[in-house]
Amino acid sequence: MDEVATKIIDILKKHMKEPRDDISLDTALTDLKIESLDLAMIVFDIEDGFGIEIPYNANEEVEAFKTVGSVVDRVKSLIAAKAGSAAKA
Amino acid sequence: MASDKAARRVVVTGMGVVTPIGTTVDEFWQACKEGKSGVSELGGFPLEDLKILIAAQIKNFDHKARLKHFKRDRIITLADRYSWFAGVAADEAVKMSGLEMPLADPYRSACIIGSGAGGLVTFETAYRDLFILNKRATHPLTLLRIIGSSAAAHVGIEFGVKGPTFATCSACSTATHAIGIARDYIRDGVVDVAIAGASESVINYGTMKAWQALHVLSPEGCFPFAKKRNGTVLGEGAGILVLESYEHAKARGATILAELRGYGMASDSQDMVKPTVEGPSVAMQDALEDAGLKPEDIQYLNAHGTATADNDINETKAIKNVFKDYAYKLAISSTKSMHGHPLGAGGGIEAVACIKAMQDGFVPPTIGLDEPGEGCDLDYIPNEGRKLDVTYAMSNSFAFGGLNAVLVFGPPPA
Repeated sequence: MDEVATKIIDILKKHMKEPRDDISLDTALTDLKIESLDLAMIVFDIEDGFGIEIPYNANEEVEAFKTVGSVVDRVKSLIAAKAGSAAKA
Repeated sequence: MASDKAARRVVVTGMGVVTPIGTTVDEFWQACKEGKSGVSELGGFPLEDLKILIAAQIKNFDHKARLKHFKRDRIITLADRYSWFAGVAADEAVKMSGLEMPLADPYRSACIIGSGAGGLVTFETAYRDLFILNKRATHPLTLLRIIGSSAAAHVGIEFGVKGPTFATCSACSTATHAIGIARDYIRDGVVDVAIAGASESVINYGTMKAWQALHVLSPEGCFPFAKKRNGTVLGEGAGILVLESYEHAKARGATILAELRGYGMASDSQDMVKPTVEGPSVAMQDALEDAGLKPEDIQYLNAHGTATADNDINETKAIKNVFKDYAYKLAISSTKSMHGHPLGAGGGIEAVACIKAMQDGFVPPTIGLDEPGEGCDLDYIPNEGRKLDVTYAMSNSFAFGGLNAVLVFGPPPA
């Protein structure tokens, strides 16, 4: 797993009541017993950790938050978008 | 039937407090008996340009240790400090009551826990983050920490309360209104059990500045009814009761601590800070009538007694207005002289002081009362508490805005 994934899994573990070590990219967030309030705190930490802003509305079913891998992909694309816009500027 | 419901008596089976002079009922009552002061040097945040440098703060409060056994509410340790206080006090009260929570019918329970100002400390932190530190966002739990109903919700979740759950808000009368409303719900048959009281934790830079600007804080100490009194001292804490219908408590063989006999309320409807004699008088009179008692039946009165120039003289006039000549024989004290002014939580903490006075046959003192102030000529139990058989006790709460609420406690029904 790369640096982004490792960092995200560390953040997830921080917010889990019972952190576990078998988290992979395929793990569904629901399997980690992460609920909406936990997710709000996780998004906050990810935003802080990567200096990005994640468009996320707790009222909507968000595909990007289904599995650990989908979160990692979303964060990577936001990092890339940020780098792209910074390069243009 | 409505007539049966109207006859329901309401008893107290549990109590809990968090105060600067004790964070359990036993610790608090021992300190009251000893006349201990909870006022200390202000601390815990940068004092910057503050002029008032004292408060009655709860220092070294280990919320994690006191809340770690909570089962249903998983995030209370992440809540605002005012919710921690409420959680700890409610936990003590429920444990003392011996109730199995949730009730078999959870809709027959209520949780009414007020707060004068909710999570003000969280508010200040969030605004500092945004406006001074230019952070990109507030902490995700900010909103939930701030709302004035979060203590009621946290406690309601932990104890599985599914009936009426909300907060009251009436500044320094908040807890008394909460307890009074809960009493009415039980009396009227809406619920059988209620967790009721209030919690407050607002001591921070902004709150101190706001109170300072109102010029009602003392730089020296809280000396109710004393000549040297020069303002109140901000405190913090929680006071929570478990109330039950007498039948419900009796049926489960509960230890009944007291009966909540009377509740009175009246609003001055006149001024935000200048109290009337009439409003507090009517509230006390109504509470007496509601309790079916005469003024002479009350042995102890826990005064609102804030140590402001206006309150203490006005409260004394109102007491004389209601109790007439007997006012001079009545044992009166302001426990705020010891635990400071915990704003909305005051009436809850002071209700516990009243019940302990009845149980223990001991009335707590007004400390710092070396020389009485002009117009303050009643027996305020100066400096040292004393043994006294207390059958009935009254607790006064008079708030900014002229919002008055009074409770009367009596012995467990025979």
